[in-house]
Amino acid sequence: MKRILICLLTLVFSVHLLAQTRTVTGKVTDPDGKPVPYATVTVKGSATRVSADENGNFSIQADPNTTLVFTASGYTASETNIGTQTSIIGALGRQAALSEVVVVALGQTRSKDKLGYATSSFKSEDINRSAPVSPLDGLQGRVAGAEISTIGGQPGSSTKIILRGYSSFSTAATSENQALIVVDGVPFNNSRLGSFNDFLNSGGADFGNGLNDLNPGDIENITVLKGAAATSLYGSRAANGVVVVTTKRGRPGKISIDVSSSAIFSTVAKLPDFQNTWGQGWSGQHLKEENGSWGPKLDGKERLWGSQVDNSRLLKPFVAVEDNVRHFYDMGKEYNNSIAFRGGNETANFYLSYGNVNNNGVLPGKTDVYNRNTLALRGQLKTNQFSAAASLNYINKEGHTAFSDAFNSSGSSTFSNIIQIARDLHITDFKDYNNKFFNVDNYFTPYASNPYYSLFENGNNQKNDRVFGNVELGYDFSKVFNIRWRTGVDVADSRVKDWQAIENPKPRTWRGENPTNYEGASLTPLIGGVRELSQYVRELNSDFFVNYNKDVITDLNVSGFLGANYNERESRTQQSKITGLTIPGYYDITNAGSPPVDVASTFKRRLIGAFAQLNLSYKDYLFLSANARNDWSSTLPIGKNSYFYPGVNASVVMSRLIGLEGTSISYFKLRGAYGKTGKDAPVYSLKSIGVSSNTDLAFGNIALPLNNVSSFELGNTIGNSDLKPELTTEYEIGTEVRFLKDRIGLDFTYYRKRTKGQILSVPIAASTGYQSLIANFGLVENKGIEFVGTLVPARSKDFNWTTTFTFTRNRNTVLELPEGLDKVDFNSAYNVSFVARVGQPIGVFEAPKKLMTEDGKFVATTAGYFAQTEDEIYGNIQRDYNMGLNNSISYKNWNLGFSFDYRKGGVFYSYTAQLTYFVGNAWLTQYNDRRPFVIPNSVVQTGTDAQGKPIYAENTIPIDVNKTNSYWANVNNPAHSYDLVILPKDFLKLRDVTLTYRLPSSVAQKIRAQNISISVIGRNFLLWVPTKNTFIDPEITNLGNDLTGELGEFGGSPTYKAYGAALRITF
Amino acid sequence: MKIRLRFILFSLFILSVVSCKKRLDINTDPNNPSLEQLTPKLVLPAAVSSAAGRIGSDYAIFGGMWAEFYTQGTTANQFKVIDDYNVTKDFGQTNKGEPWVELFSGALNDFNFVINKAKQQGDWNYFLMATVMKAYTYQVLVDLYDKVPYTEAFQGSANLQPHFDDGYTVYKGLLAELNTALSKDFTLSTNTPAGPYDYVFTTSTESSWSITPWIRFANTLKLKMYLRMVYAKPAEAEAGIRKLYSSGVAFLDKNASMNVFQDAPDKRNPFYTYNFVEIGTNANIKASFTFLSWLRANNDPRIDNYFLPKTGSTTEYLAIHQGDYANLDPALNTTSIPNISPTAPVDFISLAESHFLQAEALERFFNGAGAKAEYDAGVTASFARYGDNAAPFIATGGSYAYPSGGTFEQKLEAIIVQKWASMPGSHAIEAFFERNRTGYPRTSPVFSTNAAYVPGQIVYSKSGITNGLFPKRLIIPDLESSRNANAPADELLTKKVWWDVR
Repeated sequence: MKRILICLLTLVFSVHLLAQTRTVTGKVTDPDGKPVPYATVTVKGSATRVSADENGNFSIQADPNTTLVFTASGYTASETNIGTQTSIIGALGRQAALSEVVVVALGQTRSKDKLGYATSSFKSEDINRSAPVSPLDGLQGRVAGAEISTIGGQPGSSTKIILRGYSSFSTAATSENQALIVVDGVPFNNSRLGSFNDFLNSGGADFGNGLNDLNPGDIENITVLKGAAATSLYGSRAANGVVVVTTKRGRPGKISIDVSSSAIFSTVAKLPDFQNTWGQGWSGQHLKEENGSWGPKLDGKERLWGSQVDNSRLLKPFVAVEDNVRHFYDMGKEYNNSIAFRGGNETANFYLSYGNVNNNGVLPGKTDVYNRNTLALRGQLKTNQFSAAASLNYINKEGHTAFSDAFNSSGSSTFSNIIQIARDLHITDFKDYNNKFFNVDNYFTPYASNPYYSLFENGNNQKNDRVFGNVELGYDFSKVFNIRWRTGVDVADSRVKDWQAIENPKPRTWRGENPTNYEGASLTPLIGGVRELSQYVRELNSDFFVNYNKDVITDLNVSGFLGANYNERESRTQQSKITGLTIPGYYDITNAGSPPVDVASTFKRRLIGAFAQLNLSYKDYLFLSANARNDWSSTLPIGKNSYFYPGVNASVVMSRLIGLEGTSISYFKLRGAYGKTGKDAPVYSLKSIGVSSNTDLAFGNIALPLNNVSSFELGNTIGNSDLKPELTTEYEIGTEVRFLKDRIGLDFTYYRKRTKGQILSVPIAASTGYQSLIANFGLVENKGIEFVGTLVPARSKDFNWTTTFTFTRNRNTVLELPEGLDKVDFNSAYNVSFVARVGQPIGVFEAPKKLMTEDGKFVATTAGYFAQTEDEIYGNIQRDYNMGLNNSISYKNWNLGFSFDYRKGGVFYSYTAQLTYFVGNAWLTQYNDRRPFVIPNSVVQTGTDAQGKPIYAENTIPIDVNKTNSYWANVNNPAHSYDLVILPKDFLKLRDVTLTYRLPSSVAQKIRAQNISISVIGRNFLLWVPTKNTFIDPEITNLGNDLTGELGEFGGSPTYKAYGAALRITF
Repeated sequence: MKIRLRFILFSLFILSVVSCKKRLDINTDPNNPSLEQLTPKLVLPAAVSSAAGRIGSDYAIFGGMWAEFYTQGTTANQFKVIDDYNVTKDFGQTNKGEPWVELFSGALNDFNFVINKAKQQGDWNYFLMATVMKAYTYQVLVDLYDKVPYTEAFQGSANLQPHFDDGYTVYKGLLAELNTALSKDFTLSTNTPAGPYDYVFTTSTESSWSITPWIRFANTLKLKMYLRMVYAKPAEAEAGIRKLYSSGVAFLDKNASMNVFQDAPDKRNPFYTYNFVEIGTNANIKASFTFLSWLRANNDPRIDNYFLPKTGSTTEYLAIHQGDYANLDPALNTTSIPNISPTAPVDFISLAESHFLQAEALERFFNGAGAKAEYDAGVTASFARYGDNAAPFIATGGSYAYPSGGTFEQKLEAIIVQKWASMPGSHAIEAFFERNRTGYPRTSPVFSTNAAYVPGQIVYSKSGITNGLFPKRLIIPDLESSRNANAPADELLTKKVWWDVR
């Protein structure tokens, strides 16, 4: 490895020494005069050859009066005699049909013509248009068949990508349904290292998923492979589709340097709509220690408020502070800088880049920070027969994040803390948390912590080091026969430290033991704690291919390959935790009265695969491809661990078959594909085990050892030694049509995917002695359509406008569940269950509804609230459809790009909504001016008749002032609450707007640059949601990066909108 | 050249496939022991902890509120549904039957494992210990839910839908199991001493350990179960109790409790952990006027062992009337909370309870011979636990003096009321059962705010929604019934269980 690199570098720097003749520079353009990037320029009759850069510029050594040949894929070649000129424009002709080259399975490339399945490809400039920090952030709403979401509002938050719907039953917050990420032919770990839920019952944190470690600037292109036919050669983990990332490589030509720099400023986006009419208190009374706005009407009069300290108390007018939550947030600052060098000649090339991201999010101070350094070095060497390539990447990442999750929590996330604060209080006043009125002893409420105290005194810190890379060697025996061997390693080590401060008010203070406040409530002391988490993951992947490619007879080409794959994954997790700090403010794992609780686990799995592909093409219009793969997995029972899955796809370019060239239909292709993929079992699922004893209580637990003896108990899951792989079978048909010299393009796909035999620990009745049984079960169908429309309203020398429209509609149906189970639970919150049921889409929301009489009246309880039914369905997660619209308009040196992302349908659970109702801050709590009322159109049951049917009478029980708050609370009036907190998750977002100006080359040359461009960028600054959702951006969740997260949000952090500028210079 | 290379490649491929088999045999979990590595000694402490953990927290809270030691506080919400008698099959925010789940899969399944393993090994010590704990745990479950899976339970994947057995069948089965376990030879060398692994009658060394307390525990549990069915199956109960006495068995002479808790994270008494550490507020469980007024009326010194003084005082106690959580009087925010130590034991059968059971049996079937002594011993044991002296209370003329000259019912009332008063905290569910069985403490005809209220009488909760009917059971939880097609139809919370026929 080392030697190869040295060899590569030596070759790279010797290029210029060999040059002797004079230099000819120039530009390669298309028929409209637009530059063609990366065209090849050859001196006719010689071996001298260079590539143009991404702006079409080239520089070549040539003798006078020689002829230069310009070639580029998708264009017809052209030749120009240079005479005595030293500057030349090489104009290419347009080929009848562009034949785009797509990276397909296992790093192979194929012409898009030949593919029988749908793919979506994005070039570096598409990905980086809005200078994103994460590779997929630039593609939201732009991939038909994909739902890409950023799940949190903090820097470095995870991004999830679900292709063609959910198909696996996933009860864990892991990535069972996410697409496999493949970088340069090697699987890439996309797990959320270091992220956690429920540390010390104070919430969770999201440090981002693995894909976000990649510097988007290093990416040459991304291809999304959606269907089984396209992905099956990737093996077991490709069942949910594959995102194929190809990184930038060196290119023949002189050394070029790309510098890019961006500064983006963000502010918090959607916040709940708050009422501004009522102030602090409860049940209509002004209670100075209450955390909520159920007090009197805000009358503007001066009132004492908060704690009494040293016989004094603060005074302020009783008026609403309308933007008190928004003002809590700062401006986020994101700086993204990178520099890349590339160069080489025909034999050797290199690429070297360094990128730095420095992001301090919208929370005050440096409490949400994401810093990332990426270093990439890639080299290639090619002689006539031998080729070698290597890629080495190092990523260093450091993050702090505010606890984002209030699930199962006695503490709370920052957001769910501040949205409870009464409407008349200035939150920013509390920033000085040492002030005697706002400190631990005397903060105004005993029901919550000063948000600044929690934010600045508690914290966490993730440090992540990751190295990944690969080596690829190839040998061409002949033009028809070659071998390739590629091995990649991805190693990451993540350390997380969390700490929670002691918060223990002194006795006889406002909120201490024997408190001086009116309600006598005191803060339950927080005893503090420290956790150290260390996670190590390693993946080794090796592929070996034998390739064959031959024109068997005239017009019939046969190509194919045979290969083998070896994959090994292992991980180790270690965690130590203490609770109850001895020395306040000293966060070390030894600082407690009792020894740390330690947990450690390791896993290792291997997979061996053998695969083959056969491609037949007849002329340039009939294509057939068949592939097959067999895997042997360590996670399946020995002897039954082998599984086979084939696929076939075909395409016909009708426009060439029936000769449509020259008509208004410039291209017409039909395609079809059928494929299977198999997926092995989770590691260690085959046998029942014993586990270290731990008794879960409803709150807390009892962990042995006690009495100095440790103990083990039978695990609650029954292992299954008969597990089979989960199999996905999918077919798809589609067509691509382009009209009017490609100015209108349509790409349509229909697919149907069935996933059978999901491996899940199926919940079983505890009376069996166990809680779950690992089994193959279930059948889930996803079928749908994907449509991509491309329109070029204008195409001329100076003015170009391209617009792309994507439409996706996926129908998901659970067709079978395990025998005897009418549902499978994924997640729940406050009795809102999130389940799968036969005949419904995966992910149904169930909760009690308001009980109605047969004649349509509400039934009230004896307390006057809504009576409730058993669990009923409130909706599901399924989108009716998703649409995206992306535009790129360029005029001379100006380019304007913008994209919309519209997602229609589906519901989510919002704890933010539930909480703002509970504390009386929600807009709707102004209902009836908070005067007593009887639920309109309601009755109460007075008895039952002879048939046992209920007898009703008119309801006269008022919701009086003491009950108004309970009326909006989940605990007292649940049926009403569910109606208010299960919200539509539709949204329309203007994802990005980018205006770029490319400086004239005359200006650029003054600093010896080839190209300078400046962009003004806006991200996510328009968000439309249905009127019922007055609370939060429905895209966020803090409940994991997979199906469980689709439950909704639990007081996470709001998303942000951002504005900024980017500068890109190429030397 | 070409052919040779191809041959080498082909051979390499074949070789690698052959070596695959071994490379794939790595699926043994390195993080957890296999079932074969588990022994009775390793498993029993975990199972005892599971039983104590849930019975001593979740069920103790139900029992504590329904036996009216406690009531929901006015500034919190957690247990309103309990005070409302509005507990549904999916009660609670995090709880759709988790105690049930933990007791079946975490306690009973492990007791069953110990029973089977110990039987194979001829280790009758562990066989008896696990059988007694299984019977105790089952008794609590069946008394709460009336019907539970028993004969078909714990078969794993062989029977995913175990049939439910009625309570009487389960009782008979448990008594038979106890008899079998008691009939074993505890002198055999295949028996192993438990020592510190015994969380109930723990000893520091194995050599100082004895099976005798477990035999007493087994007999006392049998006595309790016979008494529980004394109204539903009088003849059988009487025969069973007479046989116990005629065979001269001994009953518990010390507390049968899990008493190894430490004041350290995750190692504390479950009620304490649940309510005072983890739930985030101690404003939920407050003193009920029902119990506090009784303690006060009798000047009972245990008041400061059962409750903490109200906030802001060191001597004064304050209670909320049962179910009066909607009362907005801010003074109620300072109401007394339970005084439970982090290291408090979880009683399975307390010494006091053992004496009270014997007093009742003697009164019922042996003309009361010795009943007073057992009663006095019961009260004394309960007081002694907190270092209090019961002598002046049980002396003639004392407020708890045994009504030796009274009718059977008067004596029974004295016994059961004293038993009730010995059970707050982690043992509270038994007080609820005993009131359902005997009707003591009596039901008050008026609410406790009424001047005519007699302290200690059970009142219908102010926020009750069941038209004057008291809760008598729990409903089979959703986590079981939604997964087991054999679960019986839901019953009302107010429907009596099989032995509750009075």
